[in-house]
Amino acid sequence: MPEPKLRVDAVMSDIERDVRTRLRRHLIKRGGAAEYHDEELFELVRATLARAVEERNLDATLLPELLDTDVDWRLQTHLSLSSHRPVAGRFILFFKRRVLLPMTRWLFEYSQDNFRRQDHLNRVLFACLEELALENARLRRDLATRLAKP
Amino acid sequence: MKLACVVHRYGADIAGGSEGHCRLVAEHLGARHDVTVVTTTARDHITWGNHYPAGEASVDGVRVLRFPVVRQRHMHRFMDLSDLVFADRGTHGDEEQWFRENGPDAPGLIDFLRQHGGEFDRVLFWAYRYANSYFGLPLVPDRAVLVPTAEEDPLIHVDAVGPLFALPRGFLFLTPEEETLVSMRAAPGRPSQVIGCGLDPAPGPADLSPLDALGLADPFVVYVGRVDPNKGCQALMRHFLRYAEQGRAVQLVMAGPASMPIPSHPSIKALGFVSDAVREALLTRARALVMPSPFESLSMVLLEAWNRGLPALVNARCKVLRGQVVRADGGLYYGNTTEFGAALDYLLDRPDAARALGQQGLAYVDREYRWPVVMEKIERVLAQTG
Repeated sequence: MPEPKLRVDAVMSDIERDVRTRLRRHLIKRGGAAEYHDEELFELVRATLARAVEERNLDATLLPELLDTDVDWRLQTHLSLSSHRPVAGRFILFFKRRVLLPMTRWLFEYSQDNFRRQDHLNRVLFACLEELALENARLRRDLATRLAKP
Repeated sequence: MKLACVVHRYGADIAGGSEGHCRLVAEHLGARHDVTVVTTTARDHITWGNHYPAGEASVDGVRVLRFPVVRQRHMHRFMDLSDLVFADRGTHGDEEQWFRENGPDAPGLIDFLRQHGGEFDRVLFWAYRYANSYFGLPLVPDRAVLVPTAEEDPLIHVDAVGPLFALPRGFLFLTPEEETLVSMRAAPGRPSQVIGCGLDPAPGPADLSPLDALGLADPFVVYVGRVDPNKGCQALMRHFLRYAEQGRAVQLVMAGPASMPIPSHPSIKALGFVSDAVREALLTRARALVMPSPFESLSMVLLEAWNRGLPALVNARCKVLRGQVVRADGGLYYGNTTEFGAALDYLLDRPDAARALGQQGLAYVDREYRWPVVMEKIERVLAQTG
């Protein structure tokens, strides 16, 4: 008789439940939100944020589109060298590219690495806000539907 | 059939990736078809520097035509352009330029496809992200079969990719996740199959003696592959060091060439490049394979580990790895440091369960990834795309 199959989803479900319990206790111990004493509420909050972090496409969220005003707020993670001087500009650019940039390459790469991290974090936060806005919109619609019923 | 296999680099000394996949498939197709590999003279996948002689050669019985690369990749320019294009701030011209900058820039290869592509019954292209596929496939769309090897990275969302995916007559995918990803951008109804990659059964028990001189402590878990931040290795070592700080006596063995600093810590053992014999021994002796990569289109190492009955612990953020583990019931996954520790505890504390997961992985490989199964699927697509 074949041995009963060990199901990964069942094992992971146990592990994830255990991890969630440990996380909740850890947050309470560190003085986190008092609401986390309510296990069900904690799970709802965790699930909402996890949906944003794990399931949202960080390249397609609404808030960055709405922020696209006159002020350019986006982190520029690539370097573009330019000069406004028509004649001397070519020499200035040559100097920047061939002398200045190689000399400061370490600083440039260090900054660029941190800009990329910040850019990622911004996008995660946008996704979290979007998830909360979606949750809010769904609840509002449900509430409106219930109120409209005779 | 007369088949052409187009790939960015090709050689017996190029392991893994889409190039390794192309080589294995081309060799197996050669048993039934007249196969020509069309590729470049590059060996280095970063610079595309010319290495192999241009012209015709035979590699393990397969006819190979190599064309020289005329321009090495300029990494800073490429990274800057990637930032622009992936943030959806580039023009169509920028997106096309991205493929040029990514390379390899081998105009001879493109000219060959323009002049002789029509002489082949089918032209198979590997890896949509490279210039040879992006500029070569539109020259022979009526006979093209694309093996996209797509990953869930920002390139898949770039506009220029849509028209490319609309062209081929058929697709060969590595996993169901890749099929879903590409199908969102591709024309519907094209013949396709999820083929993965074929493996031969492991040849008996591995010789463990190559491990004697390495000073490994039992128990250990192993990572096999390039040690690179892009492969998730930085996060893996961070998770593992936090785990080791809790006093757990276990070693992480990193087996592969490193392109990043590896922390000097008694719990982490970096072996650098390892021979096939050491690799086989590691996959036999380890308690688990760890796969931290956030982007994978298949992971041959995962299949090789299962081929040896080794369970896996994979990054849950990679849909492909997580999907493979769940389909196979062949390991566990983690999304953060705490889950990493809890899943590793499970695999180390319950050797019977870990062994069962490894055996289930082996059964999955037997079911899905033996060569006769894989080749039958490829033949079906070749027949349907006529």
